[in-house]
Amino acid sequence: MMAHDSPFHRAAASRPISRREFLWQSGGGLGGLALAAMLGHDRALAADTPAPASRPLHHPAKAKRVVQFFMAGAASHLDLFDYKPELIKRHGQPSDFGEPVEAFQNGLGPWLRPLWDFQPYGQSGKMLSEVVAPLGGVVDDLAFVHNMVGKSGVHSAATLLQSTGFQLPGFPGAGCWVSYGLGSLNENLPTFVVLPDHRGFASNGVKNWDAAFLPSQHSGTIIFPGTDAPVADLFPHAAGKFVTPDGEAAAHRLMADINRQHAATREGDQRLDARIRSYELAARMQLAAPEALNLKAEPAHVLKLYGLDGGPQTWPKEISADEEAFHFSQKCLAARRLLERGVRFVQIWSGNDNSFPRRNWDSHEDVKRDHGPLALGMARGAAAFIQDLKQRGLLEDTLILWTTEFGRMPSSQGGKGRDHNPFVFTNWLCGGGIKGGVTHGESDLWGYKPLDRTRPTTVYDIHATILHKLGLDHTRLTFRHNGIDRRLTDVHGHVIKSLIA
Amino acid sequence: MTLVALLLTPACAAAAPDFASDVRPIFEAHCFKCHGPIKQKSGYRLDVRAIALTGGESGTPNILPGRGATSPLVKFIAGEVEDMKMPPEGEPLAPAEIATIRAWIDAGAPWPEAASAAVADPLDWWSLQPLATVTPPASAGNPLDGFIRTQLAARGLAPSPPADARTLCRRLHFDLTGLPPTPEDIAAFVADSAPDAYARLVEKLLASPRYGERWARHWLDVVHYGDTHGYDKDKLRPNAWPYRDYVVRAFNTDKPYARFVQEQIAGDVLFPSTADGIEALGFISAGPWDFIGHAEVPESKTDGKIARHLDRDDMVANTIGTFSSLTVHCAQCHNHKFDPIPQEDYYSLQAVFSALDRTDREYYRDDARNARFQNLRREQRDTSAALAALEAPLRAQAGEAYAEITRRLERPPQSDPANPGKPSPSRGYHSALSSTPDAMKWVQVDLGESVEINRATLLPAHDDFNGIGAGFGFPVRFKVEASDDPAFQTGVKLLWQRYDQTFMADFPNPGLTPFATGGGTGDGIIGRYVRVTVTKLAPRKDDYMFALAELRVTDRAGKNIALGRPVTAFDSIESAPRWSRTHLTDGVAPSALSADEKQELERARDALLLGVSDEPTKQRRAQLLAESTRIAAELKTFPKPDLVYAGAIHTGSSNFKGTGTEGGRPRPIHVLARGQVTTPGKPVGPGTLSALTFSPARFALSPDAGEGERRAALAHWLTDPKNPLTWRSIVNRVWQYHFGRGLVDTPNDFGRNGAAPTHPELLDWLAADFRDSGGSLKSLHRRIVTSDTYRQAITANSAAEKIDSGNTLLWRQNRRKLEAEALRDAILAVSGKLDLTMGGPGWQDFVIERPEHSPHFRYDLANPDDPATWRRSIYRFVARSQTQPWMTSMDCADPSMRVDKRNESLSPLQALAMLNNGFIVTQAQHLAARVQSEHPHTLAAQVARAHALALGRPPDAAALAPLVRFAEAEGLPALGRLLLNLNEFTFVD
Repeated sequence: MMAHDSPFHRAAASRPISRREFLWQSGGGLGGLALAAMLGHDRALAADTPAPASRPLHHPAKAKRVVQFFMAGAASHLDLFDYKPELIKRHGQPSDFGEPVEAFQNGLGPWLRPLWDFQPYGQSGKMLSEVVAPLGGVVDDLAFVHNMVGKSGVHSAATLLQSTGFQLPGFPGAGCWVSYGLGSLNENLPTFVVLPDHRGFASNGVKNWDAAFLPSQHSGTIIFPGTDAPVADLFPHAAGKFVTPDGEAAAHRLMADINRQHAATREGDQRLDARIRSYELAARMQLAAPEALNLKAEPAHVLKLYGLDGGPQTWPKEISADEEAFHFSQKCLAARRLLERGVRFVQIWSGNDNSFPRRNWDSHEDVKRDHGPLALGMARGAAAFIQDLKQRGLLEDTLILWTTEFGRMPSSQGGKGRDHNPFVFTNWLCGGGIKGGVTHGESDLWGYKPLDRTRPTTVYDIHATILHKLGLDHTRLTFRHNGIDRRLTDVHGHVIKSLIA
Repeated sequence: MTLVALLLTPACAAAAPDFASDVRPIFEAHCFKCHGPIKQKSGYRLDVRAIALTGGESGTPNILPGRGATSPLVKFIAGEVEDMKMPPEGEPLAPAEIATIRAWIDAGAPWPEAASAAVADPLDWWSLQPLATVTPPASAGNPLDGFIRTQLAARGLAPSPPADARTLCRRLHFDLTGLPPTPEDIAAFVADSAPDAYARLVEKLLASPRYGERWARHWLDVVHYGDTHGYDKDKLRPNAWPYRDYVVRAFNTDKPYARFVQEQIAGDVLFPSTADGIEALGFISAGPWDFIGHAEVPESKTDGKIARHLDRDDMVANTIGTFSSLTVHCAQCHNHKFDPIPQEDYYSLQAVFSALDRTDREYYRDDARNARFQNLRREQRDTSAALAALEAPLRAQAGEAYAEITRRLERPPQSDPANPGKPSPSRGYHSALSSTPDAMKWVQVDLGESVEINRATLLPAHDDFNGIGAGFGFPVRFKVEASDDPAFQTGVKLLWQRYDQTFMADFPNPGLTPFATGGGTGDGIIGRYVRVTVTKLAPRKDDYMFALAELRVTDRAGKNIALGRPVTAFDSIESAPRWSRTHLTDGVAPSALSADEKQELERARDALLLGVSDEPTKQRRAQLLAESTRIAAELKTFPKPDLVYAGAIHTGSSNFKGTGTEGGRPRPIHVLARGQVTTPGKPVGPGTLSALTFSPARFALSPDAGEGERRAALAHWLTDPKNPLTWRSIVNRVWQYHFGRGLVDTPNDFGRNGAAPTHPELLDWLAADFRDSGGSLKSLHRRIVTSDTYRQAITANSAAEKIDSGNTLLWRQNRRKLEAEALRDAILAVSGKLDLTMGGPGWQDFVIERPEHSPHFRYDLANPDDPATWRRSIYRFVARSQTQPWMTSMDCADPSMRVDKRNESLSPLQALAMLNNGFIVTQAQHLAARVQSEHPHTLAAQVARAHALALGRPPDAAALAPLVRFAEAEGLPALGRLLLNLNEFTFVD
């Protein structure tokens, strides 16, 4: 094979799709195979040889892994999950909150009814908006929390609070803590994977998932499924044509030899051996990651379930539900394959930074225009994902959290939009020992604040509950940094007993 | 029941309950969980008499001896106070238990001292003690070695032998300059048998500009420097770098440490005439800044208050963490749990910075010019204040006539072409309002046919709304284009732009001066539609928009071909009769007064003032006006000032006003219970830590002292020779960077949660010596690197391992893994591509997408072989929201965190980045090309040279053979890549 044709190299962004497909469908290219042979690891895809967890659990676990759906820009609880008939009744009347309200912008127009109709689903009869109707099929597995409260109506601080438990940048993401607390199930793959919106990062960028003061291997690894180079630096950059698959195997052999000789004269420094091993693992990851991300390997009925059975997709310039569903489902399917192979924590984003034209949930101007396609796309992918996990028995020990940085106001902004509502919003959880078909905590008549303002639910409670299901006591999962034993839950958080099956 | 009733009646109480046998067991069973030896919620504990009787953080006593029924404690345990039922969870106390406690309090709450737990004196802590006067152990040579050997001997350990010359040379180069020695450097040093060879090498490296670059990077870790704001909408800070350059320069010139500290806190006050004094203030603004929390939310809203509170928190934590190595920020919500830092200390530190924001500051890099400039600015402020004070009563006296002229001066005439002489109500075109400045909007005119366009002219509007007046709504960033396609999808020709982040400055408000695009050349632009696209809107009040009075498009004959033509727009407020799309081409626009008209009006106004003035006032006024004219004239002669992003008084508009409009008066600071901005408590003035007793913790400043005096007071406190933290903190940091571990292993925390010093006497001796010999960091380096301790080999010694496996006693040196910057710089040095240009704006290895909103830093789209990126890593443009992926995988410092010690990780992802990143594969090729050009003939010589460059030693024959075989098969670039990936390249012995 000609060097410049080698599938071994990371394809440039402009390369034709066939190259990418070849690379990813051949399970990492010849280089990876050669390396595996060289290393003598026929079981290089070593999901069958899980690494021991890095630390003992605090108590028996119900869940082994976590998926977090994050709707960037602030998804409206009122238009998706939190049914407020009073708003329909009072639609168009001047809003009256019974107290002065400080809106982020000027979103205190008249009451605005939900933009879609609601109807009951499942045994539980949970009311869902028609824009998330696909979730109706799994609604009895979901547990809703309608009295979430945030601390700020500013996207950046609020997003950090939900992703890291702190409003300032510089704290590890929830996935980093889980990686740190539980360790790896498969050393050939990262423990914490982030699947960003395909259009880019949300508020704060990588600060939502980087390891901060935890060791860097707990950082979220960014993967863009279905793109030319889903994982950065997995294969040589296109500028490195001189690296050939055979040469790579020889290089690994020679490096290992030289490094071992070097270490032999420097006894007692485990880092030297650890670095040799990290190169072996790197070679294995070159096999394991493409295999895990090869969505084409899925049987037709699974692709159909996710709505990914169509041919090549082209999309209109305007935002559309089909496009949103395709990308969200692709991430969900990639997530399932990664989870199956031992990844501990997958974070899936919908919505990029809060810019224009809106490809995010920050619907100040027009809820219907933005939430419509985003919500329907999310609901299709999430519903397929839950069904898929369920049919594989994976839902039992995979905990799913759906969240966003805050909610939106029951009053209108400019007629069709809604302003920020950090005072109340919705989360839902599913699987991993969570009791389905229940609601913990209600919002008030308008969906403006919690019904019981003295007992709201916070992100600390959600995180404490997730850690609890993973066998970790949130008050004991700590790391000392700048003089403080830091926790994901800061100094707060209570496990929500009523959500536990 | 009877018994309880009896006990509840104090008169009938037989004997008072005994504390030790009756009362304490109840406390233990019900209360100690939260208010005992382990936890003290709200600072309250029932195992220590003094605290139990005086109350916790609130200072309200819970036990009122002799008054059981009214004591809050009894009310709490009896559940009589809603929200304060104790214990809050679990079984309440039995009635008999409540009765016992009540009876005990009634009896005067007798509590024998012996039954009280002792509380350690919070001030009795090593780091708070004055520096001890220490005499080094008697030994020849470097006193530092005496301290180390004494402790080694006490544990039965001995130092390792000195490292060989080659190892030492490589170690010292990386330590002092962050770069590898060349094979020639090593050869020369190994061959130099003079006794002072090592000392000369130390001097050479300390004198190298590379030294400042290396050590400035350590400092920037600690102060969390970055070139963007971070958070949401991670905007660029194009003027942050002068602070970075200041730090490099400070290290290279060996600036005395006290001066270095003082400049960073209050350089503008203490050394106002120097550029260093201004640039150093980049320290205060180094950390992240919540752009949206400031720019979109006013200080009057809760979210705005939170943003500003957190902003000061960062300044305070950065200051005390960096210079004093204490975790003062833990006292934000409550008194510090472990160290003697009350909440009030923390907020008094916030008060030091409360006038400041983070913003660009004008100055001149040239000291003399800067001194003159700052002086003139001060004089200008003083003169206008004096003039305003003098004129205020005169204006009042001059009355309505004066006000009318003022209005005429400020409101331009605008006549209606249809009714000459009559004012027209038409203001122009006005876009819809937007909540952010970054919304993209456009307005365009249809010229009717495709014509040759000479130029487009934008006439600014005028509106009194929010006191804006002339230039109302004039766009801040915009472009003007022509096309035959009304959708501007095809055939778009640019007439003018100041449009995106590539332009460093916004378009300044032009007042009523028309703005014309270029034009007039032969090859005019052809198009039917002319569109103005705005990417940054003008601020209005709490929102943003853009407005124009008129858009003129002239042909080559100079005729306005847009007049009366139809206008379309992205949006429009359509508020007739003032604002409408059609007004953009209606020929009505306010015109600025002509210079003559203006002068005439001003003269009339002056005459009014003079008419009500007495002679001395007239003279004084004339003097002030002359003064003001002279200052203005001289200021005009100055070139455009330099800018540094720094802590400064900000004078802004809209939501981000700063304190400048209030004369830079510090914002009032209150103690915030639980850190909640909504519940301000006691007001506090400027001050500092009360745990150090060498000077009063609250600064004795007069109430009208300027904010700068607050910072000056803090700077003096920090650099006081009696402040033990400052001197211990810096010598410990320097020690850490030389040994991989500090004498105190937690350089940012000398409190009870931090590590204890391994060599307390050495620490104090070094600190005192450093302080007393002028605070020279180069002397401190010299002292350390010339010690035997530093020069030890890294030996394997299983016996020593057993006694001190972590090598805390330094029985050998520590092997160091190169940090991200040193690794990257070393690769460039070895490949021969390192560009040693110093200073200036940071080089960028990313492409910025969507800069007008949230910049996306696309590292993956940048050319990995761009020569602009071959400079040292210290000059890299550091983005916060998207950190450089390769550097991050090498454990680079996170610019959002104050990093006192780099993480050190080894992972497969790191290995993949070292193998496959574009930087590595391109530099490997440069290394290959370099050795090919240096040794054109034999592959073996090329391989050996590459080996020597990378590892500082030539390969022996046994090592060379397989490398040559590999290079033969795979080529030299593959060999170069292999060498850069070796453990020996990354680890320094």
